[in-house]
Amino acid sequence: MKESTVMEKKTGMLQIIDNEGNYRRELEPAIPEELLLRMYRTMATVRKFEEISMGLQRQGRIGFYIGAAGQEACSVGSTAVLKKEDWIFPAYREPGALLLRGETVLQLFHQLFGNSLDYNKGRQMPNHFNSREKNVVTPSSPIATQIPHAVGMAMGAKITKKKEIALTFFGDGATSENDFHSGMNFAGVFKAPVIFFCQNNGYAISLPTSRQTASETLAQKASAYGIPSERVDGNDILAVYSAAKKAAERARNGEGPTMIEALTYRLGPHSSSDDPTKYRENREVEEWKKRDPIRRMAGYLRKKGYLDDESDRKLMDDIDKEIRAAAKKAEAVPKPPVESIFENVYSSMTWNLKEQMEETVGRYGPGYTGR
Amino acid sequence: MVREFKLPDVGEGVAEGEIRKWLVREGEEVREFQPIAEIMTDKVNVEMTSPFTGKIVKFTAKEGEVVKVGQSILQYESEGEEAEKPPLAPPAPQIRQDHAPPIIESRSTVQVKATPAVRKRARELGIDLGTVVPHDPSGRITIEDLETASAARKAPQAKQATAAVSGDERIPVAGVRRKIFERMTESKRNIPHFNYTDEVDMTNIVAARDVFSKRLGENVKVTYLPFIVKALIAALKDHPVLNSSYDEKANEIVVKHHYNIGIAVAAPDGLVVPVLKDADTKSVAQLSEDIGSLASKARAGKLQLADVQGGTITVTNVGPIGGLFSSPIINYPESAIVGIHKIEQRPVFRDGQIVVRHMMYFTVACDHRIIDGAEAALFGNRFIEYLEKPFLLKLE
Repeated sequence: MKESTVMEKKTGMLQIIDNEGNYRRELEPAIPEELLLRMYRTMATVRKFEEISMGLQRQGRIGFYIGAAGQEACSVGSTAVLKKEDWIFPAYREPGALLLRGETVLQLFHQLFGNSLDYNKGRQMPNHFNSREKNVVTPSSPIATQIPHAVGMAMGAKITKKKEIALTFFGDGATSENDFHSGMNFAGVFKAPVIFFCQNNGYAISLPTSRQTASETLAQKASAYGIPSERVDGNDILAVYSAAKKAAERARNGEGPTMIEALTYRLGPHSSSDDPTKYRENREVEEWKKRDPIRRMAGYLRKKGYLDDESDRKLMDDIDKEIRAAAKKAEAVPKPPVESIFENVYSSMTWNLKEQMEETVGRYGPGYTGR
Repeated sequence: MVREFKLPDVGEGVAEGEIRKWLVREGEEVREFQPIAEIMTDKVNVEMTSPFTGKIVKFTAKEGEVVKVGQSILQYESEGEEAEKPPLAPPAPQIRQDHAPPIIESRSTVQVKATPAVRKRARELGIDLGTVVPHDPSGRITIEDLETASAARKAPQAKQATAAVSGDERIPVAGVRRKIFERMTESKRNIPHFNYTDEVDMTNIVAARDVFSKRLGENVKVTYLPFIVKALIAALKDHPVLNSSYDEKANEIVVKHHYNIGIAVAAPDGLVVPVLKDADTKSVAQLSEDIGSLASKARAGKLQLADVQGGTITVTNVGPIGGLFSSPIINYPESAIVGIHKIEQRPVFRDGQIVVRHMMYFTVACDHRIIDGAEAALFGNRFIEYLEKPFLLKLE
């Protein structure tokens, strides 16, 4: 009798780089130096971007912020295996995916300030980054809703015989949602070319994973849907890259979906509205700081001879300058004019919207931007 | 040009924040994004960074002051260029002096943010919404704002703040002191306390401590407290009701079978009570070390929230300072607190002889709703027994 796959347990975890940057040669993926350095730069950019953005929020210059510090390797390592026509359905800790695809920091700041150059004209919550041009779909705040979207996109590509695959990101909390079940089940049955990337950072805001699920691992949930899964050290960019690479190949070869559970940790608060000291020990944070994905990658790059003290310092300086300048620039851009509130719902404005627009313009004046 | 920096909403829907600490000085040059203050709100504690590169001219809020969102906290001068952006913080509410009581809403009233129910109530009270000060930082007027405005009209000049006698110092009740105010009042208001005092012969503990001190060497300072904690836990195991709390919502007494002992520490800002977690699993040496590190963290103001949570009973040691005995206040919602006092040599009778022994008074303050007098007395006897015969601690 065939052994049941339901009983499969995957408690191990793929790790290639250790905390000091030593790496296991036999598992090391072949990544060109140029791409490696770009991945590193992107991770460091995300970290600095967060420091400045959180400052902006505290100073009252932007309304809200959600950080990605500590989880940079997940979005950057997995996005690195995609082709540019592939699709990304992010949650909200993946600015790294956009930046690796060439999005500018300035554009991200336009989004945070909700100014007139923001793709969404300030209508999205801050930190819900997207780009039509870069095939990164706008995230929804409700947890896990992006999962069926990604599966739908992948199914569409399969039916129309396009060579596109979809990558979707979600957290540990999302695996308790109905949308996770719907998406995984559908993808499993119809072999949708999709990668389910779960960033298990141990907490759904304040709820620890032990209260989230009785499953030993999140990866094992994939077995129930007949989907292969892998558990990786989410703070190890090579491990993330390798697992994602394998998953992308499976998807491209018509073998269907893969789930990746990346074990990682959010070093900062859930968002600017959260105080993590109320639900987790500082000791735990200090422990995870030792596994910092950026430091580990830097260690690896040094051992490969791709990075030294001087080039690292110069890179960090460049990033710092770029980000500070971009924040200033985006802040000076005017907000969208008040009339824009009425646009983009119907292709031609309905009479009642027109009436409301005229009333609003009558009150505030044409082109009013709130200042 | 001198500009104001107003306290923004640092979390989400935060209405006010306390300036815990200024990290810069008046007159100091700062860079944009340099940390300038620690701010505590009921939602998050944040490090405020500077929104400008320039000079701090003056603080308009003191350390320990609770500031409303939108209220100025400092004045600054920044280098050239941006004479623009006022920060996104909403403007501080101002009282507008409009016309006499209107029957019909004035133009200014239409622009005021208020729900239809509030507008109706304002009409009933004959209050012009334009003159009402909103307390919500968004500027929205609530029913409460109306009641306040209406009450203020009825009693035009109620009592003014007591004028300060010259030379008196006025200390704002903020930060740790504010917490102490709240907790002490809560405890005394809710808990009917009774005190039980007795004396204990500490001679054997004094001897035991000397032995331990020698064994552990000079690096570890062993005080009497770890021994007292040990004896306390042993006595609590015999009388668990003293290691309990009252769950008001469920109307249940929660008897704890873990022993997290709070230790009252006099820190520079005021009394704090860090907690020795699972003290029953720890040796005298470990307890010494933990007490030392918690006390120094407390004095340095470095205690984390987790360090002060989860206590099941508290010990307060007044001994090093003085006093015969005290009547401590229970650390709400615990049900008992043990005050221990100085150990001194006194003549006592033993077998018809006057001998000199190391004696100590202690007081157990109990929640009389939960703990009966006899129970406290029996507990006191056990506590004494373990301190006078410390070998029992090892045997049981």
